[in-house]
Amino acid sequence: MKMTRSWDRAFLHKGLGVRRILILAILSGGIWAFVQLDLNPADLVPTSGGVQVAWAFFSRALSPAIVYEAEFVPSDTPPLLWKALQAAGTTVVFASAAMSLALIWGLLLGFLASSSWWVGDPAGGAGNVTAFVRRSIAPVVYGSTRVLIAFMRSIHELIWAVLFLAAFGLSHLSAVIAIAIPFGGTLAKIFSEMIDEAPRDVAHAFRGSGASATHVYLFGLVPRALPDMTAYSFYRFECALRSSAILGFFGYPTLGFYIAASFENLHYGEVWTYLYTLLVLVILVDWWSGALRKRFVV
Amino acid sequence: MMWSVNEGNRKSQGRTSSSRGASFTLRKSSVVFGSTVALDSVDLHIGSGEAVGFVGLSGAGKTTLLCLLNGTVRPTGGTVQVDGRDLATLSFEELRKVRSGIGFVHQDLSLIPNLRVLHNVLAGRLGKLSFWGGMRAFLFPQRRYVHQIHEILERVGIPEKIYERTDRLSGGQRQRVAIARALFQEPVGLLADEPVSSVDPARARSAVSLLTEISREQGLTLCVSLHNLHLAREFFPRLVGLRAGRVVFDRATEQVTEDEFEALYDLNGV
Ligand SMILES: Nc1ncnc2c1ncn2[C@@H]1O[C@H](COP(=O)(O)OP(=O)(O)OP(=O)(O)O)[C@@H](O)[C@H]1O
Ligand SMILES: [Mg+2]
Repeated sequence: MKMTRSWDRAFLHKGLGVRRILILAILSGGIWAFVQLDLNPADLVPTSGGVQVAWAFFSRALSPAIVYEAEFVPSDTPPLLWKALQAAGTTVVFASAAMSLALIWGLLLGFLASSSWWVGDPAGGAGNVTAFVRRSIAPVVYGSTRVLIAFMRSIHELIWAVLFLAAFGLSHLSAVIAIAIPFGGTLAKIFSEMIDEAPRDVAHAFRGSGASATHVYLFGLVPRALPDMTAYSFYRFECALRSSAILGFFGYPTLGFYIAASFENLHYGEVWTYLYTLLVLVILVDWWSGALRKRFVV
Repeated sequence: MMWSVNEGNRKSQGRTSSSRGASFTLRKSSVVFGSTVALDSVDLHIGSGEAVGFVGLSGAGKTTLLCLLNGTVRPTGGTVQVDGRDLATLSFEELRKVRSGIGFVHQDLSLIPNLRVLHNVLAGRLGKLSFWGGMRAFLFPQRRYVHQIHEILERVGIPEKIYERTDRLSGGQRQRVAIARALFQEPVGLLADEPVSSVDPARARSAVSLLTEISREQGLTLCVSLHNLHLAREFFPRLVGLRAGRVVFDRATEQVTEDEFEALYDLNGV
């Protein structure tokens, strides 16, 4: 076998060195955070009162309530399971409205935040005003869009909800927009990246047949990214269901509203009923997206 | 198969259709990528309705030459003319218009795998449509287009695949989709880059014969790059030999000598 010369070795090891440092840095970063927070496993041992509450709560996991646990129930109250179903319906409606808005923003902003629509047409033609405008304006549009979607994402939907409730009160629109803003930002970011990473061969071919930049983008790049974009949108829809349920804590009639109420009244069986309803929702969405993806034709 | 050629000397038959096809003229055209000279001062004229084969080793510059002809690569020196108009002087819209008249069958086919055949072929027309025209055609394809595409697919031999997902087709069938897309452009020139690289010899032959036959029927100018010298000699009345970015011969196929072919493919001198 041939001996590796020393400069060969230096070259060979250099590639791994960076990687080794990175792995060590990530590990020590994690440990540092634990130390900073003074995390101690002993904290997980609950107080004696806590043990009782925890037991009372978790012991109902296998026996969720079928009827109300309260002794006195007003006669015009619908049955518990019917109410859970209604709350689930409301949760889905809020999530769907928010996702529809978020998808529109995600597609529009995702377009502006991807570099594919303005980077590189090697043969633009002479005296080309369009190309000049694209080359000088596009980076500005691109940059400001990326800042905008970073802003949308960096604020959690609950904080947006607090802001909108303070400004507009408990309107349905406040809740929908509170979810739609961060979700739109996240979708825009992920969509733009998926589109930018899609193979460019087709885009190049379309451009060569005279297609406009917008057509190249819409029909040459987006379809290639569409299966991934769809799968990701379904995942975000799941997240939207959770967020919409949580907004019940502010008083919207979604699952969270009833979870909070039952929890306060120590009706843990009802809490589990609502939690399982949420679980079924998420499983349904998962199943739906799986079924759709299996036979996906654009 | 319906598109198979009847044997015989196709290449010597005269072009019947009139001067519909595009003409291409290169004057001292060079293309330099960084430090690589892909094409070195190429002079070439391809007349309307001609069928020309580009032959040469890997890296000789065949793909680059084809890309010059539809303006997707700009010459770093010299000029490229299509139908007598210098591409460098055209506005963006004019260049798009020229490109929309030139079909290009790519070496890697460049099809969208998760679209139906119909939509992949439809994309060929985008260059001739407005923004809304393209949206309409893609989302709600007009019957007129569907019929036209069905006819073209019939011509290339896969009419039953029109609603099939493209990634469910075989390599040879995909190749036909790529050809159909170029034809749906209603082009005046057809460029094909190594259209036989992904299929077996029999299919390679039928693909080349399909291209030459259709071009002759419709009076299109045809330029095809080929590694396979036998196919090139069989189907093209004129051959252009490229070596390291230079044209080493450019004449009627029967006038190219064996020595010239051997020199073209001589690996020692590269
Ligand atoms: N985009 C590019 N950037 C840099 N170099 C390139 C580029 N395109 C082509 N080249 C170089 O130009 C030369 C000619 O390439 P070209 O693709 O035209 O050859 P070819 O004859 O088509 O080869 P093949 O038969 O393998 O397809 C090669 O040396 C190649 O490396
Ligand atoms: Mg090539």
